[in-house]
Amino acid sequence: MTTSLAKRCVAELIGTFLLVFFGAGAATVTLMLSAGEEPLTDFNIGIGYFGGLADWLAIGLAFGIAIAGAIYALGRISGAHINPAVTIALWATKRFPTSDVGPYIIAQLIGAALASILFFGCTGPDAVLIGGLGATAPFHGISYTEAILVEAIGTFLLMLVIMGVAVDKRAPEGFAGLIIGLTVAGIITTTGNIAGSSLNPARTFGPYLGNTLLGGQNFWEFFPIYIIGPIAGALIAVFLYDWLTSE
Amino acid sequence: MKCYICAEKGKDSDAVAICIVCGMGVCMEHAKREELENWEGGYPFPAKKLKQNIPRILCPPCYEAFHT
Repeated sequence: MTTSLAKRCVAELIGTFLLVFFGAGAATVTLMLSAGEEPLTDFNIGIGYFGGLADWLAIGLAFGIAIAGAIYALGRISGAHINPAVTIALWATKRFPTSDVGPYIIAQLIGAALASILFFGCTGPDAVLIGGLGATAPFHGISYTEAILVEAIGTFLLMLVIMGVAVDKRAPEGFAGLIIGLTVAGIITTTGNIAGSSLNPARTFGPYLGNTLLGGQNFWEFFPIYIIGPIAGALIAVFLYDWLTSE
Repeated sequence: MKCYICAEKGKDSDAVAICIVCGMGVCMEHAKREELENWEGGYPFPAKKLKQNIPRILCPPCYEAFHT
């Protein structure tokens, strides 16, 4: 007997809310802190102004700690995917039922949108006008294709770690949340200043919708990057892991 | 093996179970049987409660220690 689908969807909504509120929120606050400072290059939008990659490490850790908390708090209830790319990858390998995929993704998108709107509610218009609610977009000089590639590679590592520390029955128990959180922090540290290091269509959807509703910039032209890249990376990882561990 | 609790009271009864915590032999009268829920799975899948519970037998002192 598992928890009802409705309750599992509420858990997914809460988990994705936490991820976006604290993770994208950290990016928003960093931009608000550095507002008005003169960036040294076009590649620097404000994150990186205080400590270079350390800014991205701090944002990555905010994401990672929120993800670890969500996994430990909600993992037994819904599985704490909190990411449509993870849900789709588990479904593609027949580990997750088709009937639950749609409701899970809708719950994740709602949780992400609520997080962005409530973050605006906590901080005011500067969160949108200066921080862009932590929306992801390719940085100066990064092409659409390069952005898709880096998002795919980042999510590939994330999904590979999920397979190794959580899905594989030989994995040691109790470490999944911590290791996955730290992995996300590491990926964001390296790739954050390339295309935002979303690794998660819901994480990008929330701030995009928030910006649209609250008078911010229109980012939707970039949304396919954060659908194609993460889902492709997660699918490659899950099938590769299954192949690597097959007899 | 004899029941430890009965032996303390000067009675002589055969033990029918052993406390899983302290190893004390207990007779049917003093054995405390509990059923623990059995869950399977967890992140990244929802945990499932299995139909069958796991029985656990405790002696009266250990049972009290767990429930106070």
